[in-house]
Amino acid sequence: MKTYGRLMIFSLVACIAYTLAYYFEWSLFQYYFAENSIGFWEQAGASGPPILWYGWLATAVLAGAAAAAAIPRRWIARLLPDLLWLVPVVLIFAALMYERRWFM
Amino acid sequence: MFTALLLFHGLVSVALLGAITHQAFAVAAKHVETRATSFMARFRSTDPAAYSTAIVVLFAVVILTGAVLYPSYRQVVRPALQTLDLRAANGVFEIKEHLSAIGLILLPAYWASWRQPLAPEYSAVRVGLTWILASMVWWNFIVGQLLVTIKGPV
Repeated sequence: MKTYGRLMIFSLVACIAYTLAYYFEWSLFQYYFAENSIGFWEQAGASGPPILWYGWLATAVLAGAAAAAAIPRRWIARLLPDLLWLVPVVLIFAALMYERRWFM
Repeated sequence: MFTALLLFHGLVSVALLGAITHQAFAVAAKHVETRATSFMARFRSTDPAAYSTAIVVLFAVVILTGAVLYPSYRQVVRPALQTLDLRAANGVFEIKEHLSAIGLILLPAYWASWRQPLAPEYSAVRVGLTWILASMVWWNFIVGQLLVTIKGPV
């Protein structure tokens, strides 16, 4: 199972990074669908709003990959297995709380 | 092209829904009944590990096709929902967005937890992640169908 430890670290860290990314709007890039263009900074004169979701996902994947590569193997071995499902449950609850603004 | 891709997205979603529901019920069974007689007992009495790779592939395909379709949603469906002041419909789609992303990110851990030979220390992880993904798939499927229904006459 040690071989797959890095995959588990990737998922765990990327999940947390995704939540932080949409909460703080840390989008690696922005896709302006009306113009079919990608920008790394907000484009003031754009003809429509950007899609941030792709950028949030890219931020999360980058953070997860960096953590999976950098975290030492002995730390991965100490990872509490139950965190792998408990953390996503908490993050899903956080997403539901964040989006409740649509139902008020 | 949009309609063909939406249809493909829907069909793959149905396959994913079937596979993950089957696995979720099978993994939740305390023991496999050797002489399964009822429908539910037969539904559960499969090898849940056999589904994991197929579920990873189907989930990834559904999310990727959904990601390709997403700009069309933003251009056509979302403005219509805003015009009709359907805030809750917008909200459930926003939740679908987050669940899709978190689900996609969880796939490596899910796949790793189902590798053979099954590690006993990851048995709770297997059950937990399978049910999390199954709940996401059901939510996303229902919301997708709901929005297609709303968008129809718009």
